[in-house]
Amino acid sequence: MTPISLHKFSIHLGRRLLLRDCNFSIESGASAVIMGPTGTGKSVFLKSIAGILSTQIFTFGGGMKVNGFDAYSDGRKLDFDSWSQIAQSGLVFVPAETAQVMNPALTLDQNLALLAPGCKSIIEQRLNDYFALDFDAFARLYPDEVSGGEMQRITLMILLSRSGNLILLDEPTVNLDRNLRRHFVEFLNKEILSAEDKTFLMVSHDLDFIKKLTLDQAFILKDGNIQRLDSLPEMESYEKPEAKKGASGTAIELQNVSQTYFKRGIFGERTFTAFKGLNLVFERSTIYGITGPSGCGKSSMIKAILRLMDGTKGRIIMEGSDLVALKPGESGRDPAAFKPFRRRMTVVQQDSRFSFFPDLSIRDSFRQIAAAGSGGTVEELAANLEKVGLTSAHLDAYPQSLSSGEMKRMDIARALTAKPDILLLDEPFAHIDFETRLHVMKAISEYLAVHATILIVVTHEDFDLRYFVEKSYDFPELVGQFAEE
Amino acid sequence: MKKLYNILRIVCLIVLALPLALAWVPSEVFEGLVPVSLVESGYLHSLFLSFRELSITLVATMLFAMLLSVSLGYISVLSIRVGRGFSNVLNAVESIPSILVALFCYAPVSGYLARHSSAASTTMSLIVFVLAATVTTLPEAVRSIDIPLSDLYNRKYSLSFRSYGFTKQRILAVLMNTALMRNTLKRVAAGILLKTLVLDCSFGFIIQLGFGSYGTPAHLSPGALIAAHRDALFEGGEPILFWLPSIMLITISVAFLLMLNDSKEETE
Repeated sequence: MTPISLHKFSIHLGRRLLLRDCNFSIESGASAVIMGPTGTGKSVFLKSIAGILSTQIFTFGGGMKVNGFDAYSDGRKLDFDSWSQIAQSGLVFVPAETAQVMNPALTLDQNLALLAPGCKSIIEQRLNDYFALDFDAFARLYPDEVSGGEMQRITLMILLSRSGNLILLDEPTVNLDRNLRRHFVEFLNKEILSAEDKTFLMVSHDLDFIKKLTLDQAFILKDGNIQRLDSLPEMESYEKPEAKKGASGTAIELQNVSQTYFKRGIFGERTFTAFKGLNLVFERSTIYGITGPSGCGKSSMIKAILRLMDGTKGRIIMEGSDLVALKPGESGRDPAAFKPFRRRMTVVQQDSRFSFFPDLSIRDSFRQIAAAGSGGTVEELAANLEKVGLTSAHLDAYPQSLSSGEMKRMDIARALTAKPDILLLDEPFAHIDFETRLHVMKAISEYLAVHATILIVVTHEDFDLRYFVEKSYDFPELVGQFAEE
Repeated sequence: MKKLYNILRIVCLIVLALPLALAWVPSEVFEGLVPVSLVESGYLHSLFLSFRELSITLVATMLFAMLLSVSLGYISVLSIRVGRGFSNVLNAVESIPSILVALFCYAPVSGYLARHSSAASTTMSLIVFVLAATVTTLPEAVRSIDIPLSDLYNRKYSLSFRSYGFTKQRILAVLMNTALMRNTLKRVAAGILLKTLVLDCSFGFIIQLGFGSYGTPAHLSPGALIAAHRDALFEGGEPILFWLPSIMLITISVAFLLMLNDSKEETE
């Protein structure tokens, strides 16, 4: 039985062709990766095999068989019963945003029982062996009571320990920190890729990660076609783009900053400390990188600088003004004294799918965003889009029709168009392939050459540290090791 | 194919909910279509009257409850402190059985209902019932709006949009108009209709059962009609008197259930 077999299969997103009359198959026991530039439809293709694409948004052509069962026939996605058969035949799909599969109303133990019945002992053992995590300590907690990093480790292990013969893995490294990535590679090689009864298909742009896996085949998806690669491309050819320098000088200083927040616990809300004792100076025209494991407080620092969190203590000094004193908490609107600072700050958040209005075209959305105080014109946005590898045609697209990588670049172009004085980038290059990433880095460097900006990048990717960041800090080292209160 | 399915679905919904619309056609039009005994006994007239009142109750409750639910849901997310206050009150209300809530609402006006003429009493009864139904449907409706709206704001859009300079008030107003929230509101409306229908009929049934035609409120409901003719199923009775309103209520309930399910699918 061939686990995946496509016959002249095609996928359209509106008028956009993502896959053209594709004849593709993977033999039982094989392990393969599909690479390709961002926005070409790699994840969409994987999701079509998993059967989770809506027929209201996507249209299909040709046929597909999964585990010997018809999944699509003459461009028609088969009914629920057929897909139930496929799911029961051993299909395991692991999405990029793994934590989203967890039901927030159930404890982790209940989620485990629902997602991977009968696999608790092996999950506990694997979490302990590979991620040094004791599941019993988390079993009674709800998903929102667990940190992002712990959640990701638990979810990945639950999904990958489900019994099944066909494993589909979508961009697994997008939210993994460096340490976690190393252990994850070891786990995949030992437990998944060495198993002869499992067929493995992954999509990823992370060449570093792919090279460390023992995969049999590699494919590239480009211009709607899947082509087999004889060998993996080399990374050595990349060169760090040269950033011209603008004016320098101290611009923002964090003095003994700490951040707490409320978390729901068994006995009501409890105060948790994201970080404390943070002392740091950011100068203009330098690209600062903040690294560290998931859940260590990097993103909280970004939100604290943006003054979008309650519970910030200490001083954040900018041009003689203490931003914490100007805006001590987040009530949903900014005090008049803080508004001039708000206009000068821009953030590219982790999940750029939520950076534009959901039901408006990017163009209409941007007009409202610019009018709200962000600034910039549609023409300037179009010019920045060209710099990050998109076109002005993307302005008429809707957020849901763009890939995660395209939305990231759209968000970066939007941020540059606002001509910020403080540019905060939280995992800005996730979902973007390395080649495109260099174009984006260059666009940001060019902006930095013209505008003496404070630029802080939160990242866990070696590539970003190697090719973009000029001065990097390990966040846990900055704030010192402390026990959670 | 999809278009055909949608057309069939809409036709199906209209057919199932038709009794509510037909109740507004003069009952004389149908006199030739039903057994003479139903016309002569005044049953047909009562049947039309009860479904007319039911349709008024459903529409009025839906509009009033939706207005309150949307406002309270929005305010709950806008101000967490106020939201918690609402949540505590609504949880307390939810812990009381719906019928008891309706009876409590009628208690202050029971004297008025007993003293006044039929028309004034009916109007007052309808107003009180709409209020009672709104109170009982509110907890679930507010929660159904508050949870997804809060999720959209806190987990997804707050960081970007607040950083652009939008106020929370404006972001929530925009999010309330998204396709996701529109589908949620459709589902909430269908839920309110279904719950009101059940409450109206069960309340009418119990009042009729307990007090007969002397009971207050003078709430002419299909439930009361069923209760009044419950002996129709026994020997010598006319089963149609019992089954006719029952089947009509079932078809209307199925229409609301389909609406509820349909909105859920769209959301997914």
